[in-house]
Amino acid sequence: MSKNKEKKVREKINWKKEAKLAPGYIVIILWVLFTLMLLGWIIAASLSTTGDIFAGKALKFPSGLHFENYIEAWGSGGVATFFMNSLMYSIVSCILLILICAPAAYVLARFTFLGNKIIQTGFVSAMGVPITMIVLPLFCIVANMGILNSIVASKVTLMFLYIGINIPYTTIFLLTFFANLSRTYEEAAAIDGCPPTKTFWKIMFPMAQSGIVTVTIFNFINIWNEYFLSLIFANSDALRPVAVGLYGMLQSMQYTGNWSGMFAAVVIVFLPTFILYIFLSEKIIGGVTGGIKG
Amino acid sequence: MKKNKGMIVGFLAPAVIIFLIVFLYPIVRTVMMSLYKIEAVTDTMDLWTFVGVQNYQKLFTTAIFKTAMMNIVKIWLIGGIIVMVVSLFFGVILTSGIRGKKFFRAIIYLPNIVSAVALATMWLQYVYSPKFGLLKSVLNALGLHKLAQTQWTAPENVFWALLLAYCFGMIGYHMLIWMSGIERISPDLYEAATIDGANKPQQFRYMTLPLLKGVFKTNITMWTVSTAAFFVWSQLFSSVTANRATIVPVQYMYMQIFGAGNAVTERNAGYGAAIGIILCLCVVLVFTVCNKFIKDDDLEF
Repeated sequence: MSKNKEKKVREKINWKKEAKLAPGYIVIILWVLFTLMLLGWIIAASLSTTGDIFAGKALKFPSGLHFENYIEAWGSGGVATFFMNSLMYSIVSCILLILICAPAAYVLARFTFLGNKIIQTGFVSAMGVPITMIVLPLFCIVANMGILNSIVASKVTLMFLYIGINIPYTTIFLLTFFANLSRTYEEAAAIDGCPPTKTFWKIMFPMAQSGIVTVTIFNFINIWNEYFLSLIFANSDALRPVAVGLYGMLQSMQYTGNWSGMFAAVVIVFLPTFILYIFLSEKIIGGVTGGIKG
Repeated sequence: MKKNKGMIVGFLAPAVIIFLIVFLYPIVRTVMMSLYKIEAVTDTMDLWTFVGVQNYQKLFTTAIFKTAMMNIVKIWLIGGIIVMVVSLFFGVILTSGIRGKKFFRAIIYLPNIVSAVALATMWLQYVYSPKFGLLKSVLNALGLHKLAQTQWTAPENVFWALLLAYCFGMIGYHMLIWMSGIERISPDLYEAATIDGANKPQQFRYMTLPLLKGVFKTNITMWTVSTAAFFVWSQLFSSVTANRATIVPVQYMYMQIFGAGNAVTERNAGYGAAIGIILCLCVVLVFTVCNKFIKDDDLEF
């Protein structure tokens, strides 16, 4: 009874305390409003017309909602190709990253062997290496293999690179995760005669599910938004992912003057990660700091 | 253990082999390339001419590269101070028992998941727009009509416009790192301090800040790593040709190797490699200095 009462008291707004926090509230609310305004206006502009935008009436929709901007950007604007490319690159790379990194992270976390420490140090250091350190030789290899002339080979190369640059982060993230799982499951499985490889795939891998989901969300967002490698290695529209494709569209739309179409393209590009964020923001935010402190 | 050997090798091999191809081999080759004169980036090694440290010397006498380095140092230092202070401030506010913490936190972090190209477009085409821009309407509404006339992306302002937009996007990430540090400090400490008569600012100055040293180091490291890769924002804020006000080393390198820009005087992939090394050394330098001067969590909590 008394516990209930105490809880009720705590939930009541303590005006004195809130008043003390008022400056904090004001700053944060202004910042949040600005962020929402930024996104909200872009979405509004994408449903408006170029004329209305320039008249400063993007938020009033004087001529109604123009969903045709999206159809246009998606179709003749060429967003469809970029979008589908990005979708394929992100999904395939994310799946392969897990299949490659989860086993590696597991043995690094569980077994002591010569070179374990070196591999871990190598992976951690690689996370701080600027991409400019590795891009020239990679380009040299790829160009000399004659890959850049074939669409399919180029797509495979791009995915290989996306996987490669995300291996250190993914492995280290999963390593801390596996290290925190109890060893009793493996011991029980060993007593029952289950070989270690099978133990991993049947027992430990499913148990790491939540870590795998978190790191996959991050990988998806990273690969979806990747820009520098794509700019260098995707040299035709058929190959380009959204970030580079959008850059090209921005350049041309400034000349054609189709502003509402341009904003529609911007919205299409950020929508997938945005929707992911709406549903999974708590998981994503929890994972941000989980990944670095490893 | 013997039975496990096959498993260890099998499980590690794919990750390690890809790591060697994508990181180790390129790093070694980039270091070598930076010491040679190389006509085209795709040239095989027998076409390279050894020039020693000449590439580095020439870079540091090239005006546009020096400008690029100055710009990135300014972004790192000024942007770093802004981002660290504001994100710490937000982190403190959000952990002070404010309502709707989760919602505010989610919105402040939101720019980090949006593609940088999309985010930069929002700033360029909307916030800074001289015709229908947010800044313009806000300043007009505040009665600052003269300020509202400012051309934010004109050559004399574009660097600051770029820096502001970039910092806006980075604050959420660093705020989360601060918050995780602040939340690990035991509330008992604050209670004890309050009993001993320390007020809130004193508690912040003498308890929170010293206890956040380790977190500060993490923040600086992360900021440095992301600044070293700074590229997209510069490319979007400059027109087709390089803009002196916003050029950064990665952009200079990109033009040097892959693009036909106005900044390219001599084709030499060795320059590009040297730029990569210089950036990497900067990261290593910051990291070493941080480790030397900021000892990890010398206070137990």
